[in-house]
Amino acid sequence: MLISGSKTPTNWLSCNVVSARTSSSLPLHALPTGRLPAFFVSSPPRPGNNQIRSSAERQALFNSIAKVYDNLNDLLSLGQHRTWKRMCISWSGAKTGDRVLDLCCGSGDLAFLLSQKVGPTGEVLGLDFSREQLSIASRRQEFYWKACYKNIEWIEGDALDLPFSDSYFDAITIGYGLRNLVDRQKAMHEIYRVLKPGSKVSILDFNKSTSSLINKFQEWIIDNVVVPAAASYGLSQEYKYLKSSIAEFLTGKELEKLAEEAGFSKAKHYEIGGGLMGNLVATR
Amino acid sequence: MRGSFVLFFKEGGGGGSLIGKVLSDILVCPLSKQPLRHCQDSQSLVSDAIGVSFPIVNGIPCLVPKDGKLLEDQAELKGDDSALAVSES
Repeated sequence: MLISGSKTPTNWLSCNVVSARTSSSLPLHALPTGRLPAFFVSSPPRPGNNQIRSSAERQALFNSIAKVYDNLNDLLSLGQHRTWKRMCISWSGAKTGDRVLDLCCGSGDLAFLLSQKVGPTGEVLGLDFSREQLSIASRRQEFYWKACYKNIEWIEGDALDLPFSDSYFDAITIGYGLRNLVDRQKAMHEIYRVLKPGSKVSILDFNKSTSSLINKFQEWIIDNVVVPAAASYGLSQEYKYLKSSIAEFLTGKELEKLAEEAGFSKAKHYEIGGGLMGNLVATR
Repeated sequence: MRGSFVLFFKEGGGGGSLIGKVLSDILVCPLSKQPLRHCQDSQSLVSDAIGVSFPIVNGIPCLVPKDGKLLEDQAELKGDDSALAVSES
């Protein structure tokens, strides 16, 4: 798969520019050692408890982590995120010739998978509010050039105000995006609006488990693996956000209810990745 | 035909004006959901419904509502509170 490489988790141990370049990601993903991105340094102080509430703060966060986002995903999930993303695509029902939307597309992982799925006769639109992430997506598209990737268009936009007509898409995917939206109800209503009747949205994200064992394990991983790894890139504050973000998210059952309330005829939440991840599939 | 979608896809550069044309078929105004018009001179997508233009930056249309700019020669705006949230030029 295009985003994979021969990257190993040990890349991050010697976290300097040279080792980042040995990964299969573009060199522009590397951050100089020991120096925080200028944006992070100049941004206003955040409330003490890692509460990143407003849309603007979240946009700033994703802009600031853009360059290392892919590297960290690979490291932190030991490459498993690729499997989960393939499952997400599969559940979306996307097929050859379809017109599909990847919402909160970020640097484009799901969009590239969708592109291969729908083929040259299909259309993929990737929408995100982070210009930095889209810029990386666009450069990956050129760098990992495949004929079918010509069918992808990137759009900077707001998931709560989608710039598409009603009943436009054959499938929609969201990977680790719904949890970061400030108004999930509005997002579900917009998704419902732009989906063709009978089509599905497939939403992959962390699972807010009802099992306290899984929750504790998840928290432990974030505290003892995720944040230290992010710290080596100078982004520990950004990733500390993750724990409270998951705590504020909805459980599988609550997500199913959210979808049903937005008008979806069917909604089912699947737990994957040992219960750490979840995928909601809702049909219009 | 989908072929035209593929043909015009390019990042910025000479394909800029053609990208805009294709995109204006696909995209609508994020606030009014009405069609957009591609403005070649300013490299932007214009929503006549609310009198706002959205820029295209490096071939990527920026359709976040706050990215919109009020059209200078617009005499009156349709009554949509969200239009007041557009950024200063």
